[in-house]
Amino acid sequence: MFRYFKSKFGDNMLFFWTYLLIFIGLLLLFSASKGVFMREGFFLKQCVWLVASTIVAIFIKKVDYRDFQKIAPLLYLIILPLLLAVLFFGKVGGASRWIRLGLFNFQPSEFAKLIVIVTLSAYLAEKDVKRFPVFLVSIIISGIPFLLVLKQPNLGTAFIFIVIFFAILYQAGASRLQMVFLFCMGIFSSPILWFVMRPYQRERILTFINPMRDPLGKGYNLIQSIITIGSGGFWGKGFLRGTQTKLAFLPEYHTDFVFCILAEELGFFGVIILFSIYFMFFKAVAETISFTSDRFARLMATGILVVFISQAVINISMTMGLFPVVGIPLPFISYGGSSLMISLISVILVGNIRENSLMF
Amino acid sequence: MEKERLFVRLTRIAFALIIARCFYLQVVRYPYYRNLSNKNCIRTVDTGTPRGVIYDRNMRFLAKDAPTLHLVFVPYDLESPEREAEILSGIISLDRYEILKKFRRRYTNPFDRVFLKRKLTQEEVSLIEERAPDLPGVFVQEGLVRDYLLGREACHLLGYTGEVTDEQLSVFRDRGYKMGDTIGQDGIEKTYDEYLRGIPGGMQVEVDALGHHRNILGRRTSVPGNNLVLTIDQTIQDIAYEEMGGRRGCVIAMDPRNGQVLTLVSIPGFDPDNLHSFLDDEGHPFLNRAIKGMYSPGSVFKIVTETAALETGTMGEYDRVECTGEIEIADRVFHCWKEEGHGWVDIDLALPYSCNVFFGVTGVKVGVAKMLEFAALYDLGALTGIDLPGEKSGYLPGRYETDPLNLSIGQGPLLVTPVQLVSLISTVANGGNIWKPYIVKEILSPDGKKVKEFAPELKKPVYISSETIEILKKGLRNVVLFGTGGQARVEGVEIAGKTGTVQRAQRELELTTHGLFVCYAPADNPQISLVVFLDTGASPQAAAIAGRILKRVLVPEEKTGEADSNEEEETENVQVF
Repeated sequence: MFRYFKSKFGDNMLFFWTYLLIFIGLLLLFSASKGVFMREGFFLKQCVWLVASTIVAIFIKKVDYRDFQKIAPLLYLIILPLLLAVLFFGKVGGASRWIRLGLFNFQPSEFAKLIVIVTLSAYLAEKDVKRFPVFLVSIIISGIPFLLVLKQPNLGTAFIFIVIFFAILYQAGASRLQMVFLFCMGIFSSPILWFVMRPYQRERILTFINPMRDPLGKGYNLIQSIITIGSGGFWGKGFLRGTQTKLAFLPEYHTDFVFCILAEELGFFGVIILFSIYFMFFKAVAETISFTSDRFARLMATGILVVFISQAVINISMTMGLFPVVGIPLPFISYGGSSLMISLISVILVGNIRENSLMF
Repeated sequence: MEKERLFVRLTRIAFALIIARCFYLQVVRYPYYRNLSNKNCIRTVDTGTPRGVIYDRNMRFLAKDAPTLHLVFVPYDLESPEREAEILSGIISLDRYEILKKFRRRYTNPFDRVFLKRKLTQEEVSLIEERAPDLPGVFVQEGLVRDYLLGREACHLLGYTGEVTDEQLSVFRDRGYKMGDTIGQDGIEKTYDEYLRGIPGGMQVEVDALGHHRNILGRRTSVPGNNLVLTIDQTIQDIAYEEMGGRRGCVIAMDPRNGQVLTLVSIPGFDPDNLHSFLDDEGHPFLNRAIKGMYSPGSVFKIVTETAALETGTMGEYDRVECTGEIEIADRVFHCWKEEGHGWVDIDLALPYSCNVFFGVTGVKVGVAKMLEFAALYDLGALTGIDLPGEKSGYLPGRYETDPLNLSIGQGPLLVTPVQLVSLISTVANGGNIWKPYIVKEILSPDGKKVKEFAPELKKPVYISSETIEILKKGLRNVVLFGTGGQARVEGVEIAGKTGTVQRAQRELELTTHGLFVCYAPADNPQISLVVFLDTGASPQAAAIAGRILKRVLVPEEKTGEADSNEEEETENVQVF
C-alpha cells in the first residue's frame, strides 16, 4: 500500500492531493460532529464509506480504463432505471434523491454524472461531433439523465450535467455554430418551462435565484452562512472552536455548507490553503489530459475535470451568496458516501490514463 | 492540447473571485460579522399571512381570518424549560409533559418562534403577562385565526385548518411548507389549500438584549391567499341544518343541471374552533357521512332495477304482477313490506308502492348481471369525484356475490355513499347526464380578479331511452302523490322522489333502520335534487324533512307560514321499505 502511493507521489502527486483533501474533509466532519445537535455517527459513517471507496478504487485501479469504453453502454443502461426508480421510491424530505440500502443511502445521480461522462466520451471518441446525427445522439445521451435528475428535483446536479455536456463537446471539437445553437436552445426553452410551472414552483425558482426572497427558509441559511464565514476572520476561531456551526445556526453544515466550518475555524488562512490544494489537484488532472494521446481518455478526463472544478466552485460560491443555493457537495470534503466513492473512482480513472499514456 | 488550458484559466478566474469575496467577508467585514455571531442576536419573525376568504355562491362569508393572540416561544431563549413548562401548564390547557416535549424538540433554527398555543383567551393573556418575568423566551404574539361563521353547520364541508404535521411536512416541504405553518386539514380547506394559503412572509431581524428589533437583515412581504367562491347556497345550508333538527345523518342538495353542490350537511359535526373536545367523541363527529358514509341504498335502488327492466325489455309498461304480501321464488319465501299485499301491480304502481314482490320478480327476470351493469352505468359504487378529500367509493359487488332478490330491492353487499345517491337522482332528473358534483365555483385573487373558474363537468351521459326516463319520472312523482313518500308532499311545489329504508345491524333487541329519501323538485322542471339520510329513522321521516326543506327553498316566503297539513295517518303505517 505504502509503496503504491509512493510511486504515485513521484509522478504528479495526483493521489497525494486527493487524500489530502479527503483528510481535510474528515477533520471538518469530525469538528461538525462535536456540535450541540450532533447528527449521530455521520463521521463514522463517512470513515466506513472511505474504506469501502478505497477498496473499490484499488480494484478499479487494476482495470484498464479502455475497458470502460467497451462497457459504457451497459453502465448507461443500468443507471437509467435506477434514476427512474429514485423518482418513485426515494423520498427523503420532499425531494427524491436517495435509494435506501439499510443504514446507508445510495444516490444514483452521483453515479450518473460519471457514467454520462464515460458514455459520452466513448461515443464521441469514435465519431465526428461535427456531423449532425452524432451531435443529436450526444444530446440524447446526456439529455435523458438530465431530465430525470431535473425531475427529482435536483437542479444542482442537473446543472452539472449541462457543464459536462458542454465541456466534452468542446473538447471533442464541436463547431462554434453547434455551441451557439445549444446555448440558444437553452435560453429559449426556459420561458416555456416557466409557463407550465405551478405558482409554488415558480416561487421556488425565484427563491433559488435570490434566496433573500425567503428570509425564513433558504435565505436564513444564506444569511447564517455568510455570518459564519465572515466571523472566522483571518486566522479563524481555531479547530473545534467554531461557534456558529456548533450551535447549529446552519442546519446543513456537514453536507453542502461544510466549507463554512473551514472558513469559521481556520479563517481566511485556511481558505487559501484549501484553494491551493484544490488548484494543485486540478492542475494534476489537467496535465494528464495534455499527456494522453488517446481521444477517449482525453474526453473522459475532461469531463471528470470539469465536474470537480464546477462542483467546488459552485459549492463554495453558494455558501457566500455568489451562486444560488443548490444541493451540490464539495468534492472529497462534504459528507456523502456516494459522492466520495464516485470522486475517488474518477481520480483512479485519471490515474489509469496517466499510467497508460506514459507507456507509449 | 490547448483546450484544457481554458478550463484551468476559467478556474483561476473563479478562484480569484471567490478569494476576493472571502477576503471581503473575513477580513474587511470581520468586525461586523464577528459581532453578529457573538451576540446570537438574529431572530426570524413570522409576520402572518392572511388565508383566503371562503364565500358562498352569493358572496356571503363562510370562513375568513380574524385577528387573535398566539403564545409563542424562542427555543434558544428559554432559561429553564422545566420551570416554565410548570408555570404554563397552570395557565393554558396543555399539560406539562406536552409543553416540555415542544420545548425540547430539535429545531433546525433554535431562534425561530414556535407556536405553543394558538388563539389565547383574554384570561390566559392576562395571566401570562402577569408571570412574564418568570417566562423568558415565551411571548404573546399577534396573529390570525380562522373564523368559521357557520360553525358546525358547515364543518365537514369547509373542513378546518391546523399546524402542518410532521408527515405532511415530509411530503410537502418542497412546496414551501415549513414547521409551524397552517395547512388545511379537511374539507375545502384541504382540497384548495394551495390556493388559500398565500405566500408566507417574514423578517430576519437583529435584536438587542431586550428583544427589540434593531436591524432588518431580510424581509419578505406576505401575499394573502386567494379567495374561493363556492357553489353552496348559505340559505339552503341553514335551512337543511335546521330541518335536520340535530338528528344524525346528512343532507346533500345539488343542481341536477350542472352538478353544483348547493348544500352539504353532515350531523353530528364538530366545532372547528375547538377541535380538542371532539376528538374522543363516540358519535364520530369528524366523519363526513355525505361522502364517506357507506350504506345500502335500500329501495332507492329500485330506480336502477326499474331502469334495467325497462331498458332490457324484461318488463313492459303493462306487465303486471300480483302481490299477495309474499311470494315463493326458488324455495324461498320473499315478503313484501305490506303484509296484506298490494294486489295487482304494474310498473306505474310498483315504484310508488315500493312493492318488494314486484321488484323481486322483476329482479329475478332481469338477472344480477344486468342489474349490476345498470348500477355501474349510474356510477354507483364509484367515486363521484367531488372536490372534497377522502371520498369513499362504496362497493359494487361482483356477479356471484349477491342474489337477484336482495339486489333488486337494494339489500345485500352493495354499498353506496349519499353523494352517489344525489348523483343518481340528478341523472334521472336531468334525463340521463351524470355531472361531476363540485363545490368550488371560482377562485378569486385578493384584489378580486378571477384566477380560475370551474365549469360544470359532464362525467358521462347515461344512454337511457327517453321513454324509460318518462316512466321513471312518472313513478317518482307518484311516490310523493300517493305512495310511500307522501310525507314529502308540500303545497306550492311538486316533488318527485323515492324512499328507502334499510335495516341496520341489530343492536341488542332494538331494531333500528336508516331512513333515506332522494328527490328532485319541481317535478316538471328539476332545479334541485336532494338526498336526506337519517342514520336512525324511517324513510317517511326523511321524506318529511326533504319536503320541508324544498318548500322553504322553492316556495316564496309568504306561503311558508301555513301549517304542514300532511302529517296525518301515513306516519306509522310505512315500516320497512
